[in-house]
Amino acid sequence: MDGQGQIVIEGVNHTYRPARGRAVPALSNVTLQVRPREFLALLGPSGCGKSTLLYLVGGFLPTEAGRILVEGKPVAAPGPDRGIVFQHFALFPWKTVRGNVLYGLERQGLPRAERDRRAQSFINLVGLRGFEESYPSQLSGGMKQRTAIARTLAFDPSILLMDEPFGALDAQTRSLMQTELLSIWQRTPKTVIFVTHDVQEAVYLAERVAVMSSRPGQIKAIVETKFEKRDPSILRAKEFVEKVDHIWNLVRDEAIKAQELSA
Amino acid sequence: MARIEDQATLAAGPGDLAHERAKGLDAAFRFGAGALSILVVLVAWELFARSGRVTMFMLPPFSAVVARIYTDALGGDLWINLGLTLYRAMIGFVIAAVGGITLGALMSRIRIVHWFFDPIISVGFPMPKIAFLPVIMLWLGLYDVSKISIVVFDAIFPVVTATLGGIASVEKELLWSARNMGASERQLIWQIALPAALPQILTGLQVALPISLIVTIIAEMAMGGYGLGGAMMTASRFADSRGVFAGIVEIAIVGYALIKALAVIRGRLLAWHPETVERS
Repeated sequence: MDGQGQIVIEGVNHTYRPARGRAVPALSNVTLQVRPREFLALLGPSGCGKSTLLYLVGGFLPTEAGRILVEGKPVAAPGPDRGIVFQHFALFPWKTVRGNVLYGLERQGLPRAERDRRAQSFINLVGLRGFEESYPSQLSGGMKQRTAIARTLAFDPSILLMDEPFGALDAQTRSLMQTELLSIWQRTPKTVIFVTHDVQEAVYLAERVAVMSSRPGQIKAIVETKFEKRDPSILRAKEFVEKVDHIWNLVRDEAIKAQELSA
Repeated sequence: MARIEDQATLAAGPGDLAHERAKGLDAAFRFGAGALSILVVLVAWELFARSGRVTMFMLPPFSAVVARIYTDALGGDLWINLGLTLYRAMIGFVIAAVGGITLGALMSRIRIVHWFFDPIISVGFPMPKIAFLPVIMLWLGLYDVSKISIVVFDAIFPVVTATLGGIASVEKELLWSARNMGASERQLIWQIALPAALPQILTGLQVALPISLIVTIIAEMAMGGYGLGGAMMTASRFADSRGVFAGIVEIAIVGYALIKALAVIRGRLLAWHPETVERS
């Protein structure tokens, strides 16, 4: 299927208007194209509007200026073609792991046997077999995020929007989850927009890294980060370290600017 | 100070089994201590009443009150009064619960409903609703419907407030996730917002329940007839001081049992919640 999972962002502006206080420009004239089945990282200092851009693509916020096309159609509302994964998991705490993964499948009106089969296969995919009846409050952070990923993959979106999904995890869990996400993505290819402020994570996971400027966010540079093989051994390879260095230099100026902004 | 901390670390050392046993002992001790303080009060009551400083009429001994409750139970009066009071309090409580949750949910989703009811709730919540009792007696008479109405009127406020607050504090990400998976507006409120707000809603119900019982008793006292409150007023009029104190003890027991029952229901409904998971 040609164009499946393609995203076009053209001249998008966004202003954040808190209930009290003055309006803050969050995004300014952002233009970006994401190719079908591409893994793109959106990298920038905190507060640069990278999550806002993700929420706009997800349809959770209204597009005020410019346009966002998903598979050729303008984004109007959230839909199961774009699955989102949040930093703090957003699991339904009163539902078990199975109940969480089933929720999207129930909304799609699949027959019961088919729902159960799909839910189980995605629970197995993220390595949570045996925890189907556990509640989120009984799981570790890594297991919660696995559940959230299984829940999103289960309703089979062609696009995966990930909002710093490993930001709340400890370092070891984080690196395990990164490798696992890559292997899942290789098995079930989807277009991925992965928001992060971790340069190494962006270079390791993504095929292209879009570096954003500090507030109001703009796309400052787009860097190809495709390597021949993707496994943890690459983290020490010379070409990888050089790429991280190069991107880190791009980000650093913006991080400093962002700090001055918030000071 | 440092030494106490060291001891605490040592005590926590010897492993899970000892820890579990300590926890069990601790719970038993706490329950025992709670029962003990009540026992002390009852013994003091008994001794003081028998000391000769007060007459039997002013303060009958606890044992005499228990004997009276026993006789009432055998005669059947206790069950009629208890049943009527519970019936009025529980019907009122259930109507307040269903109505309060519905109104709170509607207020949180529909702007005009919020606009209309929010000031009424704000003014009405701190107000003593029992002041409307004479009005309700004028309008509805002295029947069950007037007693239940005043209970609903008083108990609905904490439920509405808790539901509103609970729904307002549901994480945006939860609602977004559900919308992302294709939930409709109606499903969002029933399947996501209300379950997510359940801990706070239950807290509201735990406030509304004693209010229901208190208002039932007051209404019964004011209107007379059967029911624990009415029976106490009748006993008082006949200078039957054992009957009055029997009513007080009965109300205390009923109130305690109702609160405990609701706490058990809370534990069941919130089996998923960290407050329950951590305790088990």
